[in-house]
Amino acid sequence: MLDGLLVLLLFQLLGELLVHYTGLPLPGPVAGMILLLCALLFRQAWLERVAPAAEMLLRHLTLLFFPVAVGVVMQWPRYAEHGLALAAAVVGGTLIALPLVALLMQKLVGRTQR
Amino acid sequence: MNSVIHSPLFGLLLTLASYRLGQWLYSRSHHHPLLHPLLVAAVPVSTILLLVNLDYEAYLRQTSLLHFLLGPATVALAWPLYRQLRSIRNVWQPVLVTTAVGAVLTVAIALLIAWLLAAPGEVLASLATKSITTPIAIETATLIGGYASLAAGIVAITGITGALAAPPVFRWLRITDDRVRGFTLGLVAHAIGTARAFEYSERAGAFASLALGLTGLLTALVLPWVWQGLP
Repeated sequence: MLDGLLVLLLFQLLGELLVHYTGLPLPGPVAGMILLLCALLFRQAWLERVAPAAEMLLRHLTLLFFPVAVGVVMQWPRYAEHGLALAAAVVGGTLIALPLVALLMQKLVGRTQR
Repeated sequence: MNSVIHSPLFGLLLTLASYRLGQWLYSRSHHHPLLHPLLVAAVPVSTILLLVNLDYEAYLRQTSLLHFLLGPATVALAWPLYRQLRSIRNVWQPVLVTTAVGAVLTVAIALLIAWLLAAPGEVLASLATKSITTPIAIETATLIGGYASLAAGIVAITGITGALAAPPVFRWLRITDDRVRGFTLGLVAHAIGTARAFEYSERAGAFASLALGLTGLLTALVLPWVWQGLP
């Protein structure tokens, strides 16, 4: 658990440093995620110790972003004038995209064996 | 009493207790998307903050520990992605093409609708991350000039809409392949869709996790570049 947290924080730091020194337009933690993925793909066995901490954090992801997300409710007056555009884009956009993505994947994957 | 309300103890306890309540209801309802802990927990939290007259910024400061953990949680997404990447050897081509086309499509449709309805730039920037997992969405939306809380709310509603609409859409289109159902749910509806995919099968869940990771990764890599180039 502690080893896993250590690995995650270390890679977050590496990601932040990479972004800081290269000026890449990328959030630091995402850069850290890419670095960790590359390291895992190179089969660094000790990195598998990241599993307990990673699984714990991801299981309760909703809790971690809850305070930010509840801001939509708390600060709704700030967004209210765009309510219609938001609702149409979020709900309508999702309903249009869903069948398109499903049909595309179906067509592409159809020829391969299940 | 006043000093208790203004300490991190108050905000953290309120958040944890409300989340626990939401989680309980969610599992009692067999993971019905409309009873997602995010929606349920928002009710007691916003009510109690109003009752004790604590403003949102103060609450956000009290719970900054949770916000900090979003960083390592984002890094942690590499772990399920690594595990799932090993299971797709014979379908990696459809997977990559669908991710690329699907990620662009979901964003473009939503942006077009909002733009036609005259939404300003900050709102568009908050919409651009609608289909990706929340930790990456919050960071990417902030980077391109969106509002963190609006982006997080949009992601949640997208996930709930996708998870509710996907089963009837799959029946309508006669899609029965669990790889397709899972991947579509993960791509369009991120973690909430992934939870729904696991109800089809373990295999659908694995493909949903993979789609969630790849879509988040691709969007975070490409979106800031594209956004810089827009007028």
